[in-house]
Amino acid sequence: MDILESLSVALEALRAHKLRSFLTMLGVIIGVAAVIALVSVGQTARSSVVGEFASLGPDLLWVLPGKAKEDSPFPTEEARLTLTYEDARAIEREAVFAVEVTPMLQTSVEVTGSGRKTTTTVIGTTPNLLVVRDMALQAGRFLQESDMSRRRRVVVLGPSLAQRLYRVPRNAVGRKLTINGRAFDVVGILQPEGGILGVDLDDRAYLPLTTAQQLFNINYASFLFVKAKDVESVSRAERETERILLREHGEEDFTVLTQSQLLVSLSAILGILTIALSSIAAISLVVGGIGIMNIMLVSVTERTREIGIRKAIGARRLDILTQFLIEAVGISLVGGILGMGAGLAISWGISLRLFHSVPTIAATLPVVVLAFSFSALVGVIFGVYPAWRAANLHPIEALRYE
Amino acid sequence: MTVGRTLPAAGPLVALGDITKVYQMGRVTVPALQGVSLEIAPGQFVAIMGPSGSGKSTLMNLIGCLDRPSSGTYLLDGQDVSRLDDDELADIRNRRIGFVFQTFNLLSRYTALRNVEMPMIYATVPRAERRRRALRALEQVGLAARVHHTPQELSGGEQQRVAIARALVNEPAILLADEPTGNLDSRSGEEILAVVQDLNARGITIAVVTHDRDVAQHARRILQLRDGRLVRDEPVPQPLVARPALA
Repeated sequence: MDILESLSVALEALRAHKLRSFLTMLGVIIGVAAVIALVSVGQTARSSVVGEFASLGPDLLWVLPGKAKEDSPFPTEEARLTLTYEDARAIEREAVFAVEVTPMLQTSVEVTGSGRKTTTTVIGTTPNLLVVRDMALQAGRFLQESDMSRRRRVVVLGPSLAQRLYRVPRNAVGRKLTINGRAFDVVGILQPEGGILGVDLDDRAYLPLTTAQQLFNINYASFLFVKAKDVESVSRAERETERILLREHGEEDFTVLTQSQLLVSLSAILGILTIALSSIAAISLVVGGIGIMNIMLVSVTERTREIGIRKAIGARRLDILTQFLIEAVGISLVGGILGMGAGLAISWGISLRLFHSVPTIAATLPVVVLAFSFSALVGVIFGVYPAWRAANLHPIEALRYE
Repeated sequence: MTVGRTLPAAGPLVALGDITKVYQMGRVTVPALQGVSLEIAPGQFVAIMGPSGSGKSTLMNLIGCLDRPSSGTYLLDGQDVSRLDDDELADIRNRRIGFVFQTFNLLSRYTALRNVEMPMIYATVPRAERRRRALRALEQVGLAARVHHTPQELSGGEQQRVAIARALVNEPAILLADEPTGNLDSRSGEEILAVVQDLNARGITIAVVTHDRDVAQHARRILQLRDGRLVRDEPVPQPLVARPALA
């Protein structure tokens, strides 16, 4: 029997049980769609997050409290606060390549403005954050040295927080904002920055570090931003910072991260996440394969007599094997194609919503090819046993089957 | 009809030598055939009779190459087929044997035409020739007007004629019919016997398994089996002639 005949026989059999074929296919459709959607959304997330962090500036360094363990770029003793305003001042005073240092005391609290309540990220920092982060104002002014020294109750708002509380961001200047029961004067509104990892950088309230430390009764900073003199001096700034902090602290209870280290490890984390998620999705593809195997076994049993008839009139084992194998592969391939369409549609939808970009063809093609061949493979793997059973039925027993 | 083969006049078509067939039922061995020897010459019309359990179906399956004997030799047209593997037996069935079953055993999804084409698909006959030969075979059993009907749309007699067309389409050496009239009313049964006798008249070797003495009387020779042994082998002096009800 030639392959075209086997194909038409298999398709006829699938058509004879449309609902059953479709439901069996559904397992593969969901599996393939999930793999494609997760992998390509993951890839988009990766490139978009890496892009966002890169846009913070390549000359930026992070100083985090706690010491990173071997093999991990991030400190693990998160609870320990070790960094202070004095550390920042010490680095700024001595360093040649680390030109600006900004401590950040970051916490999430409920604030009230214009009678509206909302929870936002409140950051105690120093005036030079504006330079370090390349931020710009759209109205009013930023924090000043005198705010620091007098512990003034002034606050600069991100535009989306200002909009939420005061409707028109520009008009917020001069209004009052209540944080922890204390009234603050809104003195400035920042230009929009966008978001990173789905976190809105414009939903922020910036206070003088000294005011924030008093308000929250904390003497430490959550982390420090260090700006290198230029991109070339990033690693020298890193060594300088480490040297000064080590001397100040007497032990290495901090971690200095450069932009590129951060990007590499972020990208690695997102990569692992993508692999983990798509492995889970791939499991559903295996489950789909088990569905195929199940239905093929049912089909072989149901058609025992047909197999007997075919054998009596001269079908060889290979003929029967091919017939049932093509049926199984047919289910999984058609399922694979439909799942591919669904997966691409889903990944486009999600990527557009979350990252405002669509997956590139170059990024999608390998996963599409992979998912497609995987689904064909699933059909073969889970179709072989039922087909083998069919092929090895004894013609007499098969003919006798009621 | 151009079916049937030009056979060497000398040797028998079927030659069974001391055939035994033993079935293993768990720990018990059940002897189905115990030393059967017989020959069927080309162009013969043999009826195989016997009560149920006598081994006539087993004999039929062995002659039809659906099964292998436990011991003994089977020469089909001079070729030893008793030691062939499954796929070689499938080839023999495809090219040398035509089966007609009591329950017709047509594939219900397919039209009469496609059912008749089936053996040629496994013989890799080209599509166009397949169609031509299937149409001719259906015409010869009087079903030219019914080729696109599925089995459900055909009467029992018509279904059995489709089955006969299917059995003959690869021009087999022998046509084996297992109770071919068993599921038919007497009129349709008579029609089928007429077709079978007509085929035999054209030189096709035929073996019919039946427990119906009337049916057997249409053959030219009757074999009697009992308890797995051939107990009688006699010619039918005056075979009954089925009234050809076909147009």
